[in-house]
Amino acid sequence: MVKDPWWLYAYWEIQPAVEREVRNQLAPGEFSGLQSVLRVYDVTGREFPRQAANAWFDTPLSGLANNWYIHVNAPNHSFVAEIGLLTKASRFLALARSNQVTTPRFGPSEEIDEEWMTTEEDYWKLFGVTAGVGMGSSPSGLKELMERKLFSPGAFSPGLFSPVKRPQAQPFWLAVDTELIVYGATDPKAAVTVQGQAIKPKADGTFSVRMALPEGTQTIPVEATSPDGQETRTISPAVTRQTEPQKAEGRKQQAAGSRQKAETSQ
Amino acid sequence: MKEQGYLALVLHSHLPFVRHPEAEHFLEERWFFEALTETYLPLLERLQRLANDKVPFRLTMSFTPTLLAMFSDLFLQSRYVRHIESLIELAEKEIWRTRWQPPFHRLALLYHHRFTTARQLFVDVYRRNLTQPFRELADRGVLEPIASCATHGFLPLMDYQRVAVRAQVLLGVQAFEQAFGRRPVGLWLPECGYHPEHDRILKEAGVRYFLADAHGILFGSPRPKYGVYAPVFCKSGIAAFGRDLESSKSVWSAIEGYPGDFDYREFYRDIGFDLDHDYVRPYINGDGTRVNTGIKYYRITGKTDDKQPYDPDRALEKASVHAANFMFNREKQFEYLRSCMDRAPLVVSPYDTELLGHWWFEGPDWLELLIRKVHFDQKTFRLISPMDYLQLHTRNQVVQPCMSSWGYQGYNEVWLNGSNDWLYRHLHKMVERMVELAKQHPHAAGLRRRALNQLARELVLAQASDWAFILKTQTHTAYAYRRIRDHLHRFSHLSDAITRNAVDEAWLAELEATDNLFPFLDYRLYAPTNGA
Repeated sequence: MVKDPWWLYAYWEIQPAVEREVRNQLAPGEFSGLQSVLRVYDVTGREFPRQAANAWFDTPLSGLANNWYIHVNAPNHSFVAEIGLLTKASRFLALARSNQVTTPRFGPSEEIDEEWMTTEEDYWKLFGVTAGVGMGSSPSGLKELMERKLFSPGAFSPGLFSPVKRPQAQPFWLAVDTELIVYGATDPKAAVTVQGQAIKPKADGTFSVRMALPEGTQTIPVEATSPDGQETRTISPAVTRQTEPQKAEGRKQQAAGSRQKAETSQ
Repeated sequence: MKEQGYLALVLHSHLPFVRHPEAEHFLEERWFFEALTETYLPLLERLQRLANDKVPFRLTMSFTPTLLAMFSDLFLQSRYVRHIESLIELAEKEIWRTRWQPPFHRLALLYHHRFTTARQLFVDVYRRNLTQPFRELADRGVLEPIASCATHGFLPLMDYQRVAVRAQVLLGVQAFEQAFGRRPVGLWLPECGYHPEHDRILKEAGVRYFLADAHGILFGSPRPKYGVYAPVFCKSGIAAFGRDLESSKSVWSAIEGYPGDFDYREFYRDIGFDLDHDYVRPYINGDGTRVNTGIKYYRITGKTDDKQPYDPDRALEKASVHAANFMFNREKQFEYLRSCMDRAPLVVSPYDTELLGHWWFEGPDWLELLIRKVHFDQKTFRLISPMDYLQLHTRNQVVQPCMSSWGYQGYNEVWLNGSNDWLYRHLHKMVERMVELAKQHPHAAGLRRRALNQLARELVLAQASDWAFILKTQTHTAYAYRRIRDHLHRFSHLSDAITRNAVDEAWLAELEATDNLFPFLDYRLYAPTNGA
């Protein structure tokens, strides 16, 4: 399989019977120094194995591996791999052969169409616009950017997108907030308001509201009107929240001192 | 004055098929509910408003079959109603809770309004099936819907078995035809994953074009004369459109792009995490783990943890500024391109639909404002679809695009690395088995036919590129593992049973009811007679 213009990935599974059969072909002296290798053939433009490969190289494998990333470092080339055993005397016995794959190109094609003629300058001009390096950038500058692989394909793509989240690493901290629950009971059919806002009692006549309680004093008139509209009852609790400045003790006391000041000045 | 160029906005709509009737609540089903509430319903609302106001525009949207299947699924529809009603209830409580905090109280009222609007649209206007309003927008001529692959499989890594590529494409086209009642003119390759010769498969499916990332075209052979600013024809005659990175950057970039603006809503301050656990418990995941509710009160504010309350008026203003900015940048871009090109350039700007609304709360507003401004405030360019451009310019250069994707680093790395490479030996084996069995039983009927069809369903569900992606990004990995395991296991069990001619009808019926997408799927897709 192809990972990118420079890397392949191979996996394999060798049946024990196949392995045994191949090993049986080894001469007794060949067992010492025997290695497991992946032999990678460059078969660009060739009909392998009928025609010989252009070149090949061996990658030694660690004994129990059943997959490997192969650094071929050759965009726009075709490859076939064989997994096998390599003796000390460099005799190679293949256990299995892979399918053929072709790495993609990285960089502009050398081929230019006569009918759709484009110059180096024009090509890089349009490349620059889309590469997001701005219009009017120098063609040679862009070419260099690309050759040094500073042009990153797949730039600005969804895989990278997520709203920026600040890392959690921060000094020891504490956050506290308060909420208030006001609850009560009345006739299930009564009309109830809390601070002027209507709230419907449940079937059993109970009601409850939960509110964030900020600094300061809140007076909370709770008024119930009888179902026939003739009578009202009102109860008005008052609640105050007054937070003392944050206290910090221990190691970072110096730094906390300044935080403390910030709190009190609120 | 005739326009100098064209802008094709393309939105890719996808979610993996997540459906769990076996559980009362399921965390990952929320992906679908969130997408409906935050992206699809707001988007539909705005697109219809534009169409009703007779603002001319063209927008291209791709739809994956998994998303379409979920749109039409009765079970998920009623789960969504339950979800949105629960959010409405939470918003009502929030209205009370924030009574003494005006900046938050205002937002609570806003969310309550959004949720009740969502419910009303979903139930009363769209009759619970969102395929309908999209289809209607297509009929009105403002939307060009296009297809995508069956389960969003990543095709370049499937090339080893072309029959699997072909099945993903054909199923995707079939699902589209079922939903939209027409053939798709285009197909969105998942992750813009193009592999040479796959265009031939698209041709076989009757599709006319696809989109590729910029370098897929720019590195194509011979060199494209117009860069990505005009489509190219593959040798098969199928057109390829390249993504413009310049317009992508301003939207996609989490740092430099619009969505990171300090006035926009902060994604990571959600009451599901901020408030007292007892209070939010009934509205978060069944087992009590904190999750996003969608009610968020803060704006990004800056690179600080001290977030300030969100101000919707300021945010909308910003969206308007950004829409104008996007339009202005396109105008400058077209002016420059026109000086380099001897024909009107096309700028293709694809985005994941979920970016608008879910990740970037103000996205749908930005889009609506952009569309209005493009029509009313300038004459340099207009909005079209890729197909429209092909009809204006029938003659295009023949170029062989190179293998590419819009994933990080531009090739296959995201879906093939240490976290997920082990998947492929299993997927390849499954395809091998499927092909074997399909060939062995060319005329299956009754129970065996049902089993073979279900086998293919389990296969395509395992092939969803979402699993490999999740394993790479490390969020929800437990779920990805579970899905892979489940589909592998079901496949394996079922294929055994077929081989031994011992399919348990009850168990099969259960599978069919759970993994119930593609009712029209025919297993013989995996035994093509004309050689794939």
